[in-house]
Amino acid sequence: MSGALGRRRRRQARTAYLFLAPGLLLFAAFRLYPLLEGLRLSFTNARLGRATEQFVGFANYTRLTEDSRFQVSLTNTAFYALASTLPVLVIPLLLALALNRGALRNTLRSVFFFPFTLSVVTVGLAWLWLLDPVVGPFNYYLRRLGAPAHSWLAEPQTAMWAIIVTTVWWVTGYYLVIYLAGLQDIPRDLYEAAALDGAGGWRSFWAITLPLLRPVLLFVMVTHVIGSFQLFGQVFVLTGGGPGDATRTVVQHLYETAFQNFFQFGAASAMAWVLFAVVLGFSVLQFRLLRGHTEY
Amino acid sequence: MATLTGRRPDTQRLILTVSLVALALLWLVPVVWVLVTSLKLSENIVRLPPEWIPWPATGSHYYEVLFSSSRTARIGRAFLNSLVVSIGTVILVVTTSALAAYPLARMRFPGRDLVFVVLVGSLMIPNAVVLVPQYVLTQRLGWLSTYQGLIVPEAAMTFAFGVFLLRQFFVTMPRELEDAALIDGANAWQVFWRIVLPLSQPVLAALAIFAFRSAWNDFLWPLIAVNRPEMFPLPVALALLRSAYAAESYGPIMAGAILSAIPLLVVFIVANRRIVEGVRLSGLKG
Repeated sequence: MSGALGRRRRRQARTAYLFLAPGLLLFAAFRLYPLLEGLRLSFTNARLGRATEQFVGFANYTRLTEDSRFQVSLTNTAFYALASTLPVLVIPLLLALALNRGALRNTLRSVFFFPFTLSVVTVGLAWLWLLDPVVGPFNYYLRRLGAPAHSWLAEPQTAMWAIIVTTVWWVTGYYLVIYLAGLQDIPRDLYEAAALDGAGGWRSFWAITLPLLRPVLLFVMVTHVIGSFQLFGQVFVLTGGGPGDATRTVVQHLYETAFQNFFQFGAASAMAWVLFAVVLGFSVLQFRLLRGHTEY
Repeated sequence: MATLTGRRPDTQRLILTVSLVALALLWLVPVVWVLVTSLKLSENIVRLPPEWIPWPATGSHYYEVLFSSSRTARIGRAFLNSLVVSIGTVILVVTTSALAAYPLARMRFPGRDLVFVVLVGSLMIPNAVVLVPQYVLTQRLGWLSTYQGLIVPEAAMTFAFGVFLLRQFFVTMPRELEDAALIDGANAWQVFWRIVLPLSQPVLAALAIFAFRSAWNDFLWPLIAVNRPEMFPLPVALALLRSAYAAESYGPIMAGAILSAIPLLVVFIVANRRIVEGVRLSGLKG
């Protein structure tokens, strides 16, 4: 009896692996292997076309501590991640709360979501034109209102903020949909009970909505921070990393090190792993901060 | 709320809706501006004050980026490249994810939990981290500037998410039909093909749209993996189109931008509910 059962188990395992094989092959070859190979490369002096690569220990990593452009890139990227988190967390949430009360919910949701279907290049080109210092409409209307016009993308104080505004416009709809879904999963009767107990809108927001949205807030934060540290496309189109190095990001620095500047694969891989470590660190931190019990 | 402000709830709701509509219109301004620009005569584009009605209108910028001068003839070709790559990616992602998600949801075998944990964990890997080795691998395979060199890595990027999404769906499906078919002597493949897949159409569509969007819009990987201009997908061609023109030639650039937005706009209008459902599933179960 147990022999027959064992045979059936083995047959099922074989079937399972057959189903999994194509996907796991794809995953192993193009995700897992590159991840580990990158770690190995980061300890070598590999370059494109160099026949033999040598083990160089932590040299690539120690060089990063002296690479001032890398440090500027890391600082810029971290600034972007921190400065954009609050608007990305709050603006879609406010919109979701408002949409949940007003009419035309689904139509408006679609309008706000639409920019998210555009590619980063399309978004960048649109904002490049809007913010054009001379003939762009944004500066024109500012001047009409009596405010000073700026070359938003060419001034070091404003360039990163212009990129943040562009990104918020781009991704708000995505997070809005997620928040709306989260709001709908909160049982109605909780609000009714709270209203019976005399709680106003504000009270029930703090006591019911916010605590029950905690997993959603955590998801939005983690997703956004992981995305933030990969900031590249907006910068590539809008500023090219300038003015000076004011908007230079880690991925841009990595891209240039690996593919434009003598193809230094070893050095770029070290940057990639530093980036990975930072992203993981932030994610763990956020899980720690926001994890908690959300029991109804 | 009504008692706090002293207004009747109906009035309050009306004010809220009107301000939301105004904000939504404001939200569309950048897109409208791009569209308006793409339809204007070149000499009218940089005029101040900004003109919001493109009159007289022209399709010449579209004609130019799609068919004429050599430096922009690439947008038409890039559009086709993007279609091939995106559709190829969708097919590869949906097939491999569905096949992999099914045993993870329904079968018992050693290593199942490990496989699932590794896949979900991999969702935390930033794409930029695997960029260099992925390039080396693609180059060794001789896949640079080819469709497979874009499709396969693109599919690998979305695969883990696909498995996650589909497994979640398969787990919540009632088992009765599958069990009945198994008792009637059907094998696992028949159950998967004839019962599970037809019942999963909504979630498969959501995954297909997700994969299409990420392949259609991806920029960094094709920027690196393609160096022959006739193989550029749209985002790369557009980004380079910009540097090919003088700063003031916004007409053709904006026409290219509008063209790049059309396929997803169509998908978005046709399958609005699927998209929302897909985003919802991706967010809440994460």
